[in-house]
Amino acid sequence: MAEGPGRDAVAREGLAHLDALHRLARYLTGRDADAEDLVQETYARAFAGAERFVSGTNVKAWLFRILRNTFISEHRRRRASPIVAAPEVMERAPASEETWLRDDLELDRLRKVVGAEIEAALLSLGEEARTVVLLDLEDMSEHEIAVVLDCPVGTVKSRLSRARAALRQRLRDYAR
Amino acid sequence: MTLDCREVRNRLVDHLRGRLDADAQHELEAHLATCADCAHANEVERLLDDALEHRLPARPASAALRERIAAMSVPAPRRQWWRGALVPALAVAAALVLTVPALVYRQLASLRATATAAMVDEAVADHLRIAQAQRPLEVESGGIHQVRPWFEGRLDFSPVVPFDGDAVVPLRGGALAYFRDRRAAAFIYGLRQHTITLLVFRADGLPWPRTGLARIGGVDAYRTRERGFTVILWRAGDLGYALVSDADPAELTQIAARFSPGV
Repeated sequence: MAEGPGRDAVAREGLAHLDALHRLARYLTGRDADAEDLVQETYARAFAGAERFVSGTNVKAWLFRILRNTFISEHRRRRASPIVAAPEVMERAPASEETWLRDDLELDRLRKVVGAEIEAALLSLGEEARTVVLLDLEDMSEHEIAVVLDCPVGTVKSRLSRARAALRQRLRDYAR
Repeated sequence: MTLDCREVRNRLVDHLRGRLDADAQHELEAHLATCADCAHANEVERLLDDALEHRLPARPASAALRERIAAMSVPAPRRQWWRGALVPALAVAAALVLTVPALVYRQLASLRATATAAMVDEAVADHLRIAQAQRPLEVESGGIHQVRPWFEGRLDFSPVVPFDGDAVVPLRGGALAYFRDRRAAAFIYGLRQHTITLLVFRADGLPWPRTGLARIGGVDAYRTRERGFTVILWRAGDLGYALVSDADPAELTQIAARFSPGV
């Protein structure tokens, strides 16, 4: 078992992020049992690798990064069918284009959207879009999200913006 | 107006997150006050945030998962004890041993008993999880020769199981499990209407009980009752074993003897 300051930090802070990690796992896998397995494997890897963890750095981002990498490597390999449920095309629609309806229909729609609808809309997005939306929801900074996604800080903003535009698009589709 | 609409749209999320500095914030708000399109876009972003924050199901971790993760995060007390302060700890221990040996002995025994109880707890939790899972068996049994190879590549050890199951105690299948901080192979057997789970895992670094052991088969095993289940723990070589079931304790003990034959 790994010990040392890294392990202490992980043991002390790790549990504080359990609900947030489980939430991402649940929205990545779409199933309770798979989400629990993914979270447990994430903590197993975190404790096993805790010696390499540098005390004082960001435990939260580190744990989310392990979770996402575990999901990508283990989960996709285990399943024959791809995780991505919906065509990626929608997410590539440039956010800077006029995707907002000028009328009040969308505002009204967003005010009335229920939990099951926003959940379904989120689950219909690709893995990366789901991840970036949820990390942003966890109050993570662009720097932290960049650590998790393993991408430059500069591209987090555009990825988040694309993902949110796709989410709005899905919600608008439901309204029709 | 120094900001164009495109820039404003790019900053709306930063604006909602409070990440803009005072000047940029002021500039953006001035633009929103005069541009209906951007004000609309801002309201859309705000409402989307509201829906995500307040209406998206939170999906928190279950109590059972929290318990399992908490158990993983606690290193064996005996090892944790020494950490960082070997010399002072030795000095204090020496002083205590010289003055009140009985107290120290009792203290150590109680630490160990607590740690052992955590192992027993974990074994029962694993058993329940497998028994109650919707799809408990990751590999359905066509016999031990099908189950054992399935674990290859999924574990960092080779699970040794001396008992292959028979007509009375048939092997139903296997699943990956966790025991504290490590992976475990779970072999699931039946006994009439009962389920028997045998967990096999690396034995090192765990707070194995040293007292209250009884000879079962070829090993010194620790047997206890917990939440209506009988739990039998033993080690053989580098591997640790936990046998859990709600079957009759005496019957389970006889079955345990077949998993731990005399050497």
